[in-house]
Amino acid sequence: MKLSLTRQALVLVALSLLPAVGEAIYFRGKISWQSPIPPSELVSVDQARTWGENVIWVDARPDAEFARDHVPGALSLNEDRWNELLPEFVASWSPGKKVVVYCSAESCDLAREAAERLRKEAQIPDVFVLEGGWEAWLKKNR
Amino acid sequence: MNQTSNVQRPTGINREQALNAEVSADGAASNIKYRRSNILWRIVDFGVAGIFIYAGALKMLDPVQFAHDVKNFQILPWPISVALAFYLPWLEILCGVGLVFRLFYRGALCILSALIVVFTLATAAAKLRGLDITCGCFGHASQHWSFPAHLATNLGILAALLALWFSHRLARYVGEALPGTP
Repeated sequence: MKLSLTRQALVLVALSLLPAVGEAIYFRGKISWQSPIPPSELVSVDQARTWGENVIWVDARPDAEFARDHVPGALSLNEDRWNELLPEFVASWSPGKKVVVYCSAESCDLAREAAERLRKEAQIPDVFVLEGGWEAWLKKNR
Repeated sequence: MNQTSNVQRPTGINREQALNAEVSADGAASNIKYRRSNILWRIVDFGVAGIFIYAGALKMLDPVQFAHDVKNFQILPWPISVALAFYLPWLEILCGVGLVFRLFYRGALCILSALIVVFTLATAAAKLRGLDITCGCFGHASQHWSFPAHLATNLGILAALLALWFSHRLARYVGEALPGTP
């Protein structure tokens, strides 16, 4: 093709749009454009409180942060010691119980990753991510 | 004696023939050299294209994870991370295919070079800000790569792309200078 460099690049840029749009349509139900976590997987502090005893709180932050402070009764389950901590979590879980995972703030990704691993690897249903994370919990409990 | 002197001192026509033979032998040797180096550059083409097609395919198969990987760099807002997660893998794949089939070749080289520079700068910026992130460049395969490994891979790919760029320019020049070369 005897096109100029700019035209060649523009053709490639434009051509890539077509399959990308197709894929975006195909995955429309699996990803939200508004929030990294689909609204159906998020839970607010207030809503999680209404579940009372029927909830297991999971702290996905590193050990040091968990040791400093955490939601009362929360279990630590972080990526660094996943295999070591998972049996303890599984032992305290029973069918019908809801699981709320949190990390430090809205922007952190640890809670989402832990929640996804619990759903996929441990086959645990009803796993939610706390909206706003530990920061949101602190705001509501000060 | 005459015969000997004819051999040692060729006539005008013989001399022209000998000169032509010499030039054509030189040309043939250059052609062989050129084709050999051309094969080598095609191998580099395929190598670089393979890397981008593989990386693009991995990301294209799991755009949700790639969107999170882009978001983790904390440079772009979430909706743009999602848009890039759908778009970038296809751009990489099409440019890789462009290198393999020599379609929009210079455009593909230019885009891939720009992409690798942007990826490298983003990785370096994340490192400087102390972010512990997965680049997501090669899906889960690159999940535990260290920063130096990322940097070395990116710089190696950039060097290969630049070499391809210069070899392409040189090939065009040689193609015009040497008869019988593409």
